[in-house]
Amino acid sequence: MKTSMDRQGAAFFLGWLVATWAPPLVVAGMTALREGRSLGDVLCAPGATPFSVTGVAVLTALLLGVMGARRWPEPWRGWVERHGWRLWTVSLLMLMPYVLAWLTRSSACRRGPAFFWESIFIETFILALLAVSYNLVFGFAGILSFGHAAFFGLGAYVTGLLMKHLGWNLFLSGAVALLTGALLGLFMSLVALRTRGLYFALFSLALAEVIHMLARNRILVHITGAEDGFVFAVPAWINPVRHRLLFYYLALVSLVVAFAFVYRLLLSPTGRVFLALRDNETRAQMLGFGPLGYKTFALVISGLLAAYAGVLRALLNKGASPNVLSLDFTMDPLLMTILGGTATFDGPVVGAFLLRFMEYLLRNAQFRVGPWSVNLGEHWALLLGLLFIAAVLLFPQGLMGSRQKGQEIS
Amino acid sequence: MTQGRPVSPHRRAALAAGLFLVGVVVIDVLLFPPAQVGVILLSGLYQAMLFFLVASGLAIIFGLLDVLNLAQGAFFMLGAYVGFGVYRLLGEGLALGLRFAAALLAALLIGGLLGALVERWLIRPLYVRPLFQIVLTLGLAMVIREAVRTLYGPAGLIPIQPPAPLRTTLTVLGAQFETYRVFIIGMGGGLMLATWLLLRRTRLGIIIRAGVEDREMVEALGIPVGRVFTLAFALGSGLAALGGMIAAPYIGAYPEMGDVFLLNAIIVVVLGGMGSFEGTMLASLLVGLTRATAEQISLEYLDTPLLASVSILLIMILVLLVRPSGLFGSEP
Amino acid sequence: MTLPLLRVEGLHTYIGSQHILQGVDLDVPEGTVTVLLGRNGAGKTTTLRSILGLWKPARGRVVFAGQDITGWPTHAIARLGVGYVPEHRAIFRNLTVEENLRIAERRKGDFQRRRDFLFDLFPDLARLARWPAGQLSGGQQQMLAIARALVPENRLLLIDEPSEGLAPVLIEHLIEAIRALSVSLTVLLVEQNFHVARQLGVHYAILEHGRTVLQGRMSDLLARPDLIHRYLGVTI
Repeated sequence: MKTSMDRQGAAFFLGWLVATWAPPLVVAGMTALREGRSLGDVLCAPGATPFSVTGVAVLTALLLGVMGARRWPEPWRGWVERHGWRLWTVSLLMLMPYVLAWLTRSSACRRGPAFFWESIFIETFILALLAVSYNLVFGFAGILSFGHAAFFGLGAYVTGLLMKHLGWNLFLSGAVALLTGALLGLFMSLVALRTRGLYFALFSLALAEVIHMLARNRILVHITGAEDGFVFAVPAWINPVRHRLLFYYLALVSLVVAFAFVYRLLLSPTGRVFLALRDNETRAQMLGFGPLGYKTFALVISGLLAAYAGVLRALLNKGASPNVLSLDFTMDPLLMTILGGTATFDGPVVGAFLLRFMEYLLRNAQFRVGPWSVNLGEHWALLLGLLFIAAVLLFPQGLMGSRQKGQEIS
Repeated sequence: MTQGRPVSPHRRAALAAGLFLVGVVVIDVLLFPPAQVGVILLSGLYQAMLFFLVASGLAIIFGLLDVLNLAQGAFFMLGAYVGFGVYRLLGEGLALGLRFAAALLAALLIGGLLGALVERWLIRPLYVRPLFQIVLTLGLAMVIREAVRTLYGPAGLIPIQPPAPLRTTLTVLGAQFETYRVFIIGMGGGLMLATWLLLRRTRLGIIIRAGVEDREMVEALGIPVGRVFTLAFALGSGLAALGGMIAAPYIGAYPEMGDVFLLNAIIVVVLGGMGSFEGTMLASLLVGLTRATAEQISLEYLDTPLLASVSILLIMILVLLVRPSGLFGSEP
Repeated sequence: MTLPLLRVEGLHTYIGSQHILQGVDLDVPEGTVTVLLGRNGAGKTTTLRSILGLWKPARGRVVFAGQDITGWPTHAIARLGVGYVPEHRAIFRNLTVEENLRIAERRKGDFQRRRDFLFDLFPDLARLARWPAGQLSGGQQQMLAIARALVPENRLLLIDEPSEGLAPVLIEHLIEAIRALSVSLTVLLVEQNFHVARQLGVHYAILEHGRTVLQGRMSDLLARPDLIHRYLGVTI
């Protein structure tokens, strides 16, 4: 039963992928042949290229397909109903650089407005990844952690410092960074197991703050660069400036893979036990399952994913500063998760996009109230705090919360 | 059959804490000349008092309402700003001592009032969602800090002058120590005593202590627990605000001033046992003294006060692993 | 026919999504002990808590001394003169015996006025006045819980399974104490222990699956061992 479902699912996703990419690529290829240019030239041309135009057409078709999910034949109908919107979003994001290129009449591959927007998307993917990892702990395992920034920041610092001071290559450094995240998660779970939620929240806060302090401290300035942080040499092939498009796809694929991973994990038999434990710890204990398992599980995986987000961040910024270890990077995923909906799969991602884009749009917004002109951007932090309070008071379910009741794991 | 005299349930923990305190003092005496020991002890007490003012609110609010009020640091900061504002408002005409006293009073009252409003309108609706309550207080802390930063700028306020007698320095065992810091110790100690008396000797105190244990039963006795919650929250936030105003003439008034105190207050409350007032008192002393000692050691050997925070954190981690409920807390 | 001091009509209470009380009717005449009987899980404790407003009833009415108190906040109901001695005593362990009694005051001086009466009724408590209540024995804690309900001027006492976990000797003492105070108070007693129930109860009501199945005078019930066996599983 399950394997045929799996094979069906794989076929569906693959088919969707092909449907997204094949038509535009084919059209672009034909154009290249006809005009005697390389495929790369066609793709990177500014403005409306055959590729981007076909791409938008494909997206429109797919959109109609998702909206009319009921008209699909079985067994495909089930897949569309369950994952249609998600898949469409992924397709949109995959073709986004070219859509941006069309909209801004610039090139997707070279410096220009589209290029600039790509970096905003990359940042958002990284934040979304961080939020997904946070939701694993907060939304699904029900553990309130105020120390998430430690995973993220350590991921960035370990990667960068190993590459800078020991000359290790990216993959080795990254692997060690992921390991660090997982180990830290393991350590934190030791405390989480023994204490009430409140104590763990405070403990994680204190721990993260001390790591933050250590990074800022002048005593380690030769290693960490203290307050100013440090920079390191990013390998040429992944340089976020020269090969931003590649970086974009790397970040996107990372997010999608992490999302799918968490999804599959929580729906697997192990995952279901995990959720049963969360919902009724005492009863599960009576059945013989220890609470040990699920909290450790959540923290280790979450630590790993968050550290990975940190690695990407270090690459994107070509360095790291103590800011990545600060409370900001715990508060942000927390808010994103709440806004988007805790204990839903899509919630954190939706929250991340909402927050990041809102910040960007408002940063440059100006309000005129009577004789005063208020630049919202300067006071973004204030707005953020107000948003926090509003979100918690008014819609604790988040945007995806009530809508996803059917799909929610419970 | 219950015979003999009542036994204090926390005797072992108190003993351990006492021994630790003595141990720290011994380390000080061994490592440093007497003049410096005096300074370290006073500095430790000074820090202890300030932490206590923020932590006691945390402990009471947590004990009674089960809410971790992470906005305590923000209230601390607000107290300073309110106090400075009142001080300036009263103008040059009035005697300095009066203005100063008015500033302290204003900080206490307005801090308390604000806390009451926050409890009633922001915290109470979230009673069924405890995790979100904590998140809310965090958001509130952000809003308060950013609002202050927006209105008054990030640099902080111009310092005010405390009354003349407090501007001198004392000589303690051959070293200098500011009188104002002794004032802080005195005020802190006085407030500690006052709060202790409130909790132990007044009806409100009995109600609060009972409510910490079983608020439902308190309600069933005819006492409107909701009103008590608001009062307790106001007491906690008022103390923190007062603490901020007391500290500000010495440490300055700036938007981030509450953060470090909140962090240490959290450690104090975790160490002392959430909801235990005596635990908070004892743990404040522990944390203050340890910090002062570690700071001195750190400065001598590492040229940076880093060890102060790290040592405290390590103690907290240790306590959490060994005895998660803290010194005087009830079993987890 | 005088109105009962407490009348419960058609009470429905949900706990979460569970429909615990499915129509409880109860009359508690003034000046006597009424016993609430029923098997485990029948809803006896839930009924007491619903009367007191600790759990808000979804449907039905609770009328106390002629006043409709359905949905009132608990402290307001208590202040009308309703005392509560919950299951497992619920004394404040970290307060002294005396503080436990003082906190129950509703008017200033209540404790002073009743001090002698209470300490005569429960002499142990006089001796242990300064002890933390958590260090008392189970029986002493039960006495304290009852004494606490006697500090203010209450008209009705709701007592939930006071004999639970007590040794037989103490149970006898308990029965005497409740009989003594029922002279001036009305008592609604939930009791699983039929031996205690039959000695104290003048009226009774039996609950089954959250519904009242029988009500009346205890003397009538005692004449029907078949009913006692059927509804309570007790053979007398």
